[in-house]
Amino acid sequence: MTSTTTTKGVLSPRKKKASLPWSGLMFWIIIAIWMIPVAWLVLMSIRPSADILAGLEIIPSRITFDGYITFLSKDIWYGAYLNSLTYSTLNTVMSVTVALPAAYAFSRFSFAGDKHLFFWLLTNRMAPAAVFLLPFFNMYKAVGLFDTNLGVAIAHMLFNVPLAVWILEGFISGIPREVDETAAIDGYSLPRFFIKIFLPMIRSGIGVTAFFCFMFSWVELLIARTITSTEAKPISAAMTRTVTSGGLDWTLLSTAGVMTILPGILAIWFVRKYIAKGFALGRV
Amino acid sequence: MAEIRLENLGHSYDGGTTYALNPLNLTWKDGNAIALLGPSGCGKTTLLNIISGLITPSSGRVYFDGVDVTESDTARRNVAQVFQFPVLYDTMTVSQNLAFPLKNRGISKDEISKRIAEVAELLDLTKYLDERPLRLRSDLQQLVSLGRGLVRKDVPAILFDEPLTVIDQNFKWTLRGRLKELHRVTKHTLVYVTHDQTEALTFADEVVVLNEGSVVQSGSSADLFLQPEHEFVGFFIGSPGMNFLNASITNGLVVLNNQEIGSAKSFGGQNLDSGSVRIGVRPEFLTISNSNGLPVQIDRVENRGGYQLAHFELAGSKTIAKLSNETKVASGQSANLVFDQERTYLFRESQLCGRLVSKVS
Ligand SMILES: Nc1ncnc2c1ncn2[C@@H]1O[C@H](COP(=O)(O)OP(=O)(O)OP(=O)(O)O)[C@@H](O)[C@H]1O
Ligand SMILES: [Mg+2]
Repeated sequence: MTSTTTTKGVLSPRKKKASLPWSGLMFWIIIAIWMIPVAWLVLMSIRPSADILAGLEIIPSRITFDGYITFLSKDIWYGAYLNSLTYSTLNTVMSVTVALPAAYAFSRFSFAGDKHLFFWLLTNRMAPAAVFLLPFFNMYKAVGLFDTNLGVAIAHMLFNVPLAVWILEGFISGIPREVDETAAIDGYSLPRFFIKIFLPMIRSGIGVTAFFCFMFSWVELLIARTITSTEAKPISAAMTRTVTSGGLDWTLLSTAGVMTILPGILAIWFVRKYIAKGFALGRV
Repeated sequence: MAEIRLENLGHSYDGGTTYALNPLNLTWKDGNAIALLGPSGCGKTTLLNIISGLITPSSGRVYFDGVDVTESDTARRNVAQVFQFPVLYDTMTVSQNLAFPLKNRGISKDEISKRIAEVAELLDLTKYLDERPLRLRSDLQQLVSLGRGLVRKDVPAILFDEPLTVIDQNFKWTLRGRLKELHRVTKHTLVYVTHDQTEALTFADEVVVLNEGSVVQSGSSADLFLQPEHEFVGFFIGSPGMNFLNASITNGLVVLNNQEIGSAKSFGGQNLDSGSVRIGVRPEFLTISNSNGLPVQIDRVENRGGYQLAHFELAGSKTIAKLSNETKVASGQSANLVFDQERTYLFRESQLCGRLVSKVS
């Protein structure tokens, strides 16, 4: 036997990835290309309709905020906007709340039919939304959920809960079972452990999940339109009603477009830290 | 601090088809340090988890100080357990992590900080108390995990599941010394899982050797070394392990390589008048002599510093003798092998059944 002892068990710090030359420049070029349509939309929203139709102008010659004024003062616009925000948020909260215990169960326990149930949950996502239009319309009329934000939020859960369970299950399985066991040893009951220790540990997963739920609900048009009429009309539905007697109001439509992109950008901004971490750790 | 008694304790993960732990009976004295020693997959973790209450056993009962706790949950049992890999809550600092097992049990703030300071001192963690655990090296993280196990004073037992796996070799010794010292002072009942025999033998008052879900022997380090009750113990403990040689018995005389080497003395009343038998003898109890003994041809001599190992083949088995440096022996030479009869055992179906005694003429 030799007298050298090897030191093992001490992890070496993660190696830094080699950086691609020009990667900084590339990044900005890609961002610029991606930003062109968005910038175009923003520019359109502050130009009078007549100018938009008149021809190509990089620097607008006349600036107007009529679009934004109309958007924020007319009930039909900001009301629809608030509707979309309300049901998307409601849906996010409900989907994540329902999905958390379910994902925990899938990850930690084996029960009869768990594999099939998991798969079945996912297949829900494979059917186009249109398939569910008729049942929802009919059901909601019957139970009084028609034309309510809660109704839309619940309808979207059909698609979001499976997705949320799937994403969260990945994150939860990334946390060793010993964490649960240690908490039990330390004398914590399952609900207390879940709230005090587990939720903070998977917060990036929750961030990512919430982001996906919100964005799905925010951009979904078909179901949201079908099961609402006036009270809970979503912003995307309102956008189809910009044809007035004076023709298409380009400015107003662009304004609505800008406003519709805004929550997405904000959502990404708020969860950007979690998303980066989340995409790395989780299964998404 | 409690006596732990396990009665017919067994566990099956798949509803009875296979047993991860075959029903066993063990009693561990209050304040003892017990090592559970065995290869990977033999059921060590399963046994620990049953004692702490994470798993409800398929059969049998667990008693702490005579009180049946089989149905009690982990919180009621109040046992401390440390796992093989660091389990820490990254949302808390090191000191909050250490406080965590105490917080839930209505202990005063002053007492908590006192305990944290003591444990941190013991484990050399004082300067890391305000750090986030994931920022620390993995061996330091494991120290914090150990600290969490040691921070509670009123526990009936502390269970360690291979706690030093991720710890650096050199520090392992220091730490083991400190744990031993701690045990001497606090007199906790300590159950220590390991698959490192040195760790088990140096640390524990009592070593339980497990193999394939069964207890093969339980006793002091000396018992396991001097009188293994199962071939597995002979082979698993000691370095190198016990030599096993196929032999036969005729008229009560043990015959190895067509030569009578002694009479068989039965231990358990088994009939050892005839039939085949396996001789088990540790390399430490084989010597060579110039005059009388079993002639062998030495293949290879290996110098290990303090002693030398002579390798040779005997009755078709590779055999090793551990010889002092004074013994003159060289590769390729013939020698006469002498058995220390007191320590030459006979096994049947892997179980100890007797030993060798001088020929009665
Ligand atoms: N949750 C489980 N479900 C099913 N089988 C399990 C489970 N945990 C352990 N086993 C099986 O039970 C047996 C004993 O496992 P155990 O973890 O107790 O071994 P161990 O002695 O701790 O091994 P190691 O040294 O690798 O930690 C193994 O065969 C293992 O595959
Ligand atoms: Mg284990």
